[in-house]
Amino acid sequence: MASKSLICGLLTISLLAGVAAAARAGKHNGAAVPAPVQPTLSNDDLRLEGEKRFRANCGRCHQSPHKFPPRMMFTIERHMRVRALTTEEDMRLIVRYLNQ
Amino acid sequence: MGEFVLSWVIVSSGALVRRRKSSARLLAVLLWALPSFLLGQTDSSDRPVPILTGSAGLFASGNGGDRELVPVVMPVILVPLGERWLVEARGEFKGEFEKPAGRGSFGGPVEKELDYAELDFIANANATVTVGRFLTPFGIYNERLYPVWIRSLQPVPTIFPIGSGSSNGVMLRGGLPASPNANVNYAVYFSTNSTINKLESDRLAGGRLGVFFPRQRVEIGASFQQLLQEGRYRSAGFHFAWQPTAAPLNLRSEFAWSGEQGRGYWIEGAYGLSQISQWQKVMRHTEAVARVQQFFAGGITRDTAADYGLPIVNAQVLDLGGNYYFRDGLKATASYGREFSSMGNFHRWTIGTAYRFAFPLGRL
Repeated sequence: MASKSLICGLLTISLLAGVAAAARAGKHNGAAVPAPVQPTLSNDDLRLEGEKRFRANCGRCHQSPHKFPPRMMFTIERHMRVRALTTEEDMRLIVRYLNQ
Repeated sequence: MGEFVLSWVIVSSGALVRRRKSSARLLAVLLWALPSFLLGQTDSSDRPVPILTGSAGLFASGNGGDRELVPVVMPVILVPLGERWLVEARGEFKGEFEKPAGRGSFGGPVEKELDYAELDFIANANATVTVGRFLTPFGIYNERLYPVWIRSLQPVPTIFPIGSGSSNGVMLRGGLPASPNANVNYAVYFSTNSTINKLESDRLAGGRLGVFFPRQRVEIGASFQQLLQEGRYRSAGFHFAWQPTAAPLNLRSEFAWSGEQGRGYWIEGAYGLSQISQWQKVMRHTEAVARVQQFFAGGITRDTAADYGLPIVNAQVLDLGGNYYFRDGLKATASYGREFSSMGNFHRWTIGTAYRFAFPLGRL
């Protein structure tokens, strides 16, 4: 009985999280069409912001990796979004920084 | 490329191919077919390319009177599909070679594991659906710190077997900004029971919730797991990580409790020596590490404890070590520790090298 309640609870949480996420994603259409990040920032500001987020997020687990070619970075970005649960905006700024 | 992936699957599956041909065929066909689908869409320079990455290491270790030579290879394959899909898998090949008395060379078994083989669908900015075999999201060590090129000390924490390992089933996970200075991450999952060789898993359900404060670089989180078979035990855990901006320090900690296996915690600090002004050429590549941990044994038998890889009695362990990073992804590592328990106190040490590799499996 307890386990059934647990499963129901987990499914409910999953559904609620999915609905909430979908509602948020509706504003900027998920991963397919990334929204511009803080368009008022200059390229230098975006690079600095990307570096800051890179150090805050990636440095939590490992040493700073060297820069990979852009097509490899896009794959690594997708892997790390899943593995490290980094937010979409953080990941977009980090990839922009690493691809510069 | 399809043939390459197929070869990798067959090699990494090892005994699985022999013993469970139908499951292996299904996996092989799936991973063989996907790159073919991919080839038609990788012309553009901004498309992600499949990658073969992973880590390898060679370590010598001592545990009490036992000495081992431990070569490790952990290949990871990443195959992105379209805009939102990713197929990823990791194998683990680990030798545990000992030198028998009276013989001159090290020898022994090679463990082969399929840590994960999963299909990820990035549903939107905040949710990813994962199906297949995945690393159980309990605490932070299993998913994020386990690869030999990442971990600061090569011996895994004593409580590592609690709640971790691999699961077969479905998972929903994601990360989303809750405020300008708080990112929430979550994972909920269900796993089915499997006794298939190399694809073992328990029937269980669980979840993890974490909050990361980027300004303070602090992360806290909690994990919960309910076993849905046999003893129906519960497990719970907490994790904490802090990287202060004022110093090259990485502080991490986990606590885990299991209704069956026991409970314990570890606290680890890794300090980069770049702030030391002498011998800068060496110091800026060097990291000093210390870890303390304590384990309180549960009510399991000696054989069960051995199966889990847990001590049978309460234990305290202190490890001190260091890493020297030659360059990105290549480091030398060494550690010395002492374990204290009612079964006796003993030394343990490790010395070796770890390497992280990454190759594209397509034109760049």
